[in-house]
Amino acid sequence: MFKLIQNELLKIFKRPGTFVMIGLLILITTVAGAFIKFQSSGGTVPDNTEWKQGLQMENADLKKQMDELEGQVPAAELTYYKEQIAVNEYRIEHNLSPNVDYSVWEFVTDLLPIIEFAGMFTIIIAAGIVASEFNWGTIKLLLIRPINRGKILVSKYATILIFALILLAVTFAYSSLLGLALFGAPDTSNPYLNYHQGTVKEQSMFVHLVITYGLQSISMIMLATMAFMISAVFRNSSLAIGISLFLMFTGSQITMLVAMKFDWAKYILFANTDLTQYFEGQPLVEGMTLTFSIIMLVVYFAIFQFLAHFVFKKRDVAA
Amino acid sequence: MSAVVEIQNVTKKIKGKTIIDQISFDVHRGEVFGFLGPNGAGKTTTIRMIVGLMGITDGDIKIAGNSIKTDFEKAVKHIGAIVENPEMYKFLSGYDNLVHFARMSSGVDKKKIAEVVELVGLTDRIKDKVKTYSLGMRQRLGLAQCLLHDPDILILDEPTNGLDPAGIREIRDHIRMLARERNMAVIVSSHLLAEMEMMCDRIGIIQQGKLVDVQLVHDFVNGVEKVFEFEISSGEKAIEILKPTYPHISFELTSSGLAATIQKEDVPLVVKSLVNEDILIYGIHEITKSLEDRFLEVTTEKEGVLHV
Repeated sequence: MFKLIQNELLKIFKRPGTFVMIGLLILITTVAGAFIKFQSSGGTVPDNTEWKQGLQMENADLKKQMDELEGQVPAAELTYYKEQIAVNEYRIEHNLSPNVDYSVWEFVTDLLPIIEFAGMFTIIIAAGIVASEFNWGTIKLLLIRPINRGKILVSKYATILIFALILLAVTFAYSSLLGLALFGAPDTSNPYLNYHQGTVKEQSMFVHLVITYGLQSISMIMLATMAFMISAVFRNSSLAIGISLFLMFTGSQITMLVAMKFDWAKYILFANTDLTQYFEGQPLVEGMTLTFSIIMLVVYFAIFQFLAHFVFKKRDVAA
Repeated sequence: MSAVVEIQNVTKKIKGKTIIDQISFDVHRGEVFGFLGPNGAGKTTTIRMIVGLMGITDGDIKIAGNSIKTDFEKAVKHIGAIVENPEMYKFLSGYDNLVHFARMSSGVDKKKIAEVVELVGLTDRIKDKVKTYSLGMRQRLGLAQCLLHDPDILILDEPTNGLDPAGIREIRDHIRMLARERNMAVIVSSHLLAEMEMMCDRIGIIQQGKLVDVQLVHDFVNGVEKVFEFEISSGEKAIEILKPTYPHISFELTSSGLAATIQKEDVPLVVKSLVNEDILIYGIHEITKSLEDRFLEVTTEKEGVLHV
């Protein structure tokens, strides 16, 4: 199995396209870094010793707005206010100024959306990993080895996961290094304040970022799995890329629209891919729990894998 | 001679249509078995079933005693094959391609790869990317790829397709050498008859999914009776003379004399009767029927039967 994965990685990393992908990730990060560095404020925050009063005023405002909105909007919408107020109070209580210098962690946090790009590239690789073998005609040589088709498919899937991990590692490492070079390390360890179900907790920024990276990549892994399934079932990488990218960009919006009207939206894949909703903020549809989402993800995952394996194993190769 | 490939009543149906109908034959070690048939007859489908790329609707195929259906890994490890064109990873070097496939079989080391590369004569170009290779070189790389794990059975689907005469000859020599010296069973498919005649020991003719005939190439080409052409002064007169003596034999007028389908022992008798009647004989040739003639003969014959 190790050798099969080695083979798949060889085939990925001997193609120039792969390096273009990694190059693009680095380029986007660099451009974003330059923008933040050279924008008017230069990423610095004015020293404000009166920040406690500021926060108290803000909280008063927020409370007023909350009272006005009460009863007019769904309770879920008020959570944002509650969260802000709780975090601000925690800051005042524990003497944690919100006005910190822009440092490496803020930079990495700002660059979190770049994970979407890594996800996109992973989808492209996942969409091609089976379909390309059919296009190239090499599938015939691949399937007449003393290795059954199931193992070949599993090794290809494992390779996608490894590739995703490599992209994430490159993105995280590069944006951390760049952030460190451009903005420096934080002077004081400045914890991340996590509001969850009414309480505020301190979290190390690094741990927070690693968890966020992990949670963000769930949707990327699920979409890549779907692309992989389409690729194995239809032998068509364009179809796999098309559907997966379309859903990646619109899936959560569509799900949100559906969720406003119907409760069954919670069974849609995209209602469950964003697990951060259980750690920060509130779930999309009331009554959804972390366990529910994990079960849904496992079910979707199993369906995708089953379809891929079932069709791939039975297929007559006549390419 | 033991059979290493046993095809037992194999039938393949795709969407209710019978593509391959109850084919059975054996292939032995050390022989080159030719699989001959017009386009669309089912050659490639049969080969795909032998290597497990396609499922078998009915019947079974055994490779060295292991069923390809139920014991795929054990059966297929004895096979080296090129199915249709030898498509390799174009963006990899020839060497990387071989490393890739070597990793998928057990016990193939670097020495073995180098040895196979040497055998097919690609040592100079093996580090170049496959996209820079000519068709002949790709064909040779394809051959290298199937020899990596020392298979007992070599299956080549249209191995000489698109090669120039030198390339065809080279592949042919390789195939004969592998069958003779390494005692491999080689299955070759082609619609090029002359090619098969030179390459194969036995030939199976497939037509419309049915195995029409399996014969030794020698027997197949010659049959028992042969055609002799007599170069003589007057064909018409000769026929008049010979007809009464050989009422069962068909004589045909040709541009230079006459052609007779007779057994070898009868040749001196015919000559004698011609000489006695003062017919001048300039030469006698045996006309070997080419595989092509026989092929068309056999296929049209059977087609006639099939269509009744």
